[in-house]
Amino acid sequence: MRLTALLLLASFSGMLRAPASAATRPHYGGTLRIALHAAPTTLDPADPALGDSVAAENISRLVFDTLTVLDDHGVPKPALTSSWSAEPGNQRWRFMPRNDVKFQDGSSLTPEAAASSLRAANPEWKVFSTGGAVIIETASAAPYLPAELALTRNGIAKREGKLMGTGPFAIAEWDLGKKLTLTAREDYWGGRPFLDSIVIELGKSFREQMISLDLGRVDVIEVAAEQALRGVAEGRRVRSSPPQELIAVVFAQDPRSEEEAHMRQALSSSIDRAAINAVLFQARGEPAAGLLPNWMTGYEFLFAKDFNLQEARQVRAQNSIGLTWTLGYDRNDAAARLLAERIALSASDAGLELRVANSKTPDARLVRVPVTSLDGEVALRKLAALLGLPQPIFNGNSPEELYAAEAAPLKSGRVIPLLHVRASYALSDAVKNWAEERDGSWRLEDVWVEAGKP
Amino acid sequence: MSFRRKLLTVFALTVCLSVAAVTRVISTMTRRAFEKSNEERTAALVAQFRREFDRRGEDVLHHVENIAASEPTTRMALALSRGSLNYDYGAYLNQAKNIAENQQLDFLQFVSEDGTILSSAQWPAKFGYRDMSVPLAASDAKGSFLRKEELPEGAALSLSAIRMVHIGDKTLYVVGGRRIDKAFMATLELPAGMRAMLYQNLLPEFSSHLLVDPSAALINAEPLRALIQQTEQQKREITQLVHWNSDPSDDETVRAIPLMGQGGNVPGVLLIGASRRPYVELRQHIRSAGLLVGSLGIVLSVLLSGWAAARVTRPVEQLAEAARRVAAGDWNTRVDVTSTDELGELASSFNRMTNELLDQKERLVQTERVAAWRELARRLAHELKNPLFPLQLTVENLIRARQQTPEHFDEVFHESSATLLAEITNLKAIISRFSDFSKMPQPQFQLVQLNEVVKNAARLFQSPSQSAEEVKIQYEMRLQENMQDIAADPDLLHRAISNLLLNAVDAMPHGGVLTLQTRESGDNAFLAISDTGTGLSVEECQRLFTPYYTTKAHGTGLGLAMVQSAVSDHGGKITVQSAPGRGTTFIIELPRILDKSAKQAGSASA
Repeated sequence: MRLTALLLLASFSGMLRAPASAATRPHYGGTLRIALHAAPTTLDPADPALGDSVAAENISRLVFDTLTVLDDHGVPKPALTSSWSAEPGNQRWRFMPRNDVKFQDGSSLTPEAAASSLRAANPEWKVFSTGGAVIIETASAAPYLPAELALTRNGIAKREGKLMGTGPFAIAEWDLGKKLTLTAREDYWGGRPFLDSIVIELGKSFREQMISLDLGRVDVIEVAAEQALRGVAEGRRVRSSPPQELIAVVFAQDPRSEEEAHMRQALSSSIDRAAINAVLFQARGEPAAGLLPNWMTGYEFLFAKDFNLQEARQVRAQNSIGLTWTLGYDRNDAAARLLAERIALSASDAGLELRVANSKTPDARLVRVPVTSLDGEVALRKLAALLGLPQPIFNGNSPEELYAAEAAPLKSGRVIPLLHVRASYALSDAVKNWAEERDGSWRLEDVWVEAGKP
Repeated sequence: MSFRRKLLTVFALTVCLSVAAVTRVISTMTRRAFEKSNEERTAALVAQFRREFDRRGEDVLHHVENIAASEPTTRMALALSRGSLNYDYGAYLNQAKNIAENQQLDFLQFVSEDGTILSSAQWPAKFGYRDMSVPLAASDAKGSFLRKEELPEGAALSLSAIRMVHIGDKTLYVVGGRRIDKAFMATLELPAGMRAMLYQNLLPEFSSHLLVDPSAALINAEPLRALIQQTEQQKREITQLVHWNSDPSDDETVRAIPLMGQGGNVPGVLLIGASRRPYVELRQHIRSAGLLVGSLGIVLSVLLSGWAAARVTRPVEQLAEAARRVAAGDWNTRVDVTSTDELGELASSFNRMTNELLDQKERLVQTERVAAWRELARRLAHELKNPLFPLQLTVENLIRARQQTPEHFDEVFHESSATLLAEITNLKAIISRFSDFSKMPQPQFQLVQLNEVVKNAARLFQSPSQSAEEVKIQYEMRLQENMQDIAADPDLLHRAISNLLLNAVDAMPHGGVLTLQTRESGDNAFLAISDTGTGLSVEECQRLFTPYYTTKAHGTGLGLAMVQSAVSDHGGKITVQSAPGRGTTFIIELPRILDKSAKQAGSASA
């Protein structure tokens, strides 16, 4: 673990040093070519079909700005909105959009346009514009609303005819699920990006991406976690985010009996997360005990439970009910299959029966979902939605409340967290000033490509 | 059983037994030849399997040796010897898989000397687990061997080889193998009617799905359970006949060969099945041919027996038929003498015998005729002598009265005339009876009710004037109701019944019971007349129907002869049952319809 931490530190140090050590000055122009594994069939941020992958989130942020953004500490900051205020009770919020923001077609961002976009993404909210402000009314108190507005889902989009946003790039060409070409906007309210355009090839396997990078056909590729260490060893420029993707086993239902709850605990104890992280994910993640990563909440260690096969066997022996679980996983994810087999192996060691199945309705699913917000409450709500768990209940916004809200689904046995893994990218030498937000989202408006090395 | 049938039976039995014996011999020889052929083919297939098994084993061993000597393996062994693989062998996670793909191996694992799996091609997720079977097997693994490989989806049988890589004081085991499965079995070139199966002994209990059958014809392996388990236990080849279903042509002779693994275990059992269908079909053909030949033999037996009968039994049958005709009264029967052999001599003798019998019969008839005339003369003399003697005395008395007492002649004449007339009347009556017997008329048939005829006859004897003061005879009529008509002459039948009733009354001078009983049985009607009189002796019964024989003091002996004649003319017969002191019963049996009577009855009704 210490070795892993040192490696990570070295990696981050390299990332921080990269802009400073650039041999050339930043310049405008050029095309950044990216290859991604994800293949979204829509770009509309409000469309659930966009998916919840980190890549989809990053693509969306290139085109669609949000009213707010979160800083590194998860505190909301103004983005498309200049200010906001809430009425007592936090059920009615007033957001004042900036005046200098234009859509891709040159039209200005009006409060009504922003309200219309938010209504499409949040039908449960009452959103309208009045007096130059966007008013959002919620059914219950929503102190987290500014942070939630920073989610990509709430990106402001204009859906009249061609889909367009207010982001730094505009959609130039969209070959559904295959290729996306974006062009830099001269009139972007935050300033023109260095790049002229970005070409994103979608649906590429990790192997195809690696070959394309080696052949100089792309500048940025995703690297599977289990390949990251090899990439570093082979001298590639690999950049990794903080552990931001949660890998967990999620059961479709709550335990039907106390014995089954104990069995799920036994299953959790039987899984050697450290070994899985070290071997399967080449230490590109961290063993997870909670839903949110420790770097985000600071209390995840309180959930931590060491691998204890002996205890798992004892629990299994004390609960002699006949149970056979089926575990489903994403067939397109090679690591997921290995991980599922490992979990089945661990379960077998503990005397539990868990079969890796190709069923459409397995008892449990192995899921990999991103932590999409730096705000704990928003992130937990989003995770609960992505995992199919009941929405957490908050009675306040203190860390204790967040802890209590997170502990509830863990205690229920519905979800067994396994790992938080990083998103890794390999870059060509031409890519300069690559930077990411703390939550792993790209900041491509600051990236430029070295001339002569497209 | 006739001679012809005996002859046929002997011929048929001879043919059938011969055909059955030949069929059995051919079947036995065929079965032995088939079994010998199967033995040879099975041995050839087993040898082919072993050759292929050894060739693949050498191939696997070669690949494993190459892998053990390769640079990646050396690097891994070096890392292991430096201790840098402790929990950090993630870099080798896919190494086994990649190398296995390159070397075309199904299974490959890198295992440390403490049994820890460092990298597994067949189960990558099993990293860090211990498999102590590898270090144990490595000690005596010179070449390839069968091994049970654990897989996520179960277990598989592998033809494996182990090689060790020593760096410093550390040892890295390289375990590689290829799957022994359907594809492997499919490479065997199987002779027609044979198949090779492999039971993978991967579970403690027998399981049908562990049986690999490239022909995919096997649905239920349960019939092989006992054979496989015996082979595993006894660790030797066993051959058994396996019945898959009720159809014997689906039976299979299966030889089970244990495939030995390390440590004396049996990880697999090779099963060579030889279909018995060709043999069963051939046996069926032989049996069919046997049946056909047997059938033809029986037909030939019939023809031969017919021919033999024509040659041998026909003269005998003719003799038998002629004898039957002679017995039936046809004394003029002759048989043809067609040969000079024993049968010809027999026919000549038969003809001589019938000639002798005919001569004797004619002599007997003449004798009887003479006797009958003598008896008739004696009877006539006896009958006529009685009235003639009074006639003579009366005439002599008249002459004497005329000569000695003429004054009383008229008176004597009158008395004598009356006597003479009476005796002359008596003589006429005697002559009339004889005349009647000689003139018995032919019956005139018509449909009559037997019961009516019986009642009419009985009514005459039941008249009170006749029996009131003399005897007390009780009449019992037991007549069956609803009897069908019979063809008969009612007058003749009436006369016959009246004669029998008269005899019965005469037999009971002191009274008794006279019973008349009728009944039907089949096509015959029966009439029984019984009395409770003095009865008859056996001798009397035998002579009773002889003409002129009588047991009465004044009988002519013609009554029962007439009765028998009448019954005989009706196509019936009369019998008597009697014993002294126990009464007598006469039983008349009459056919209901005679051809002749039917024609007459038909013409009469028309």
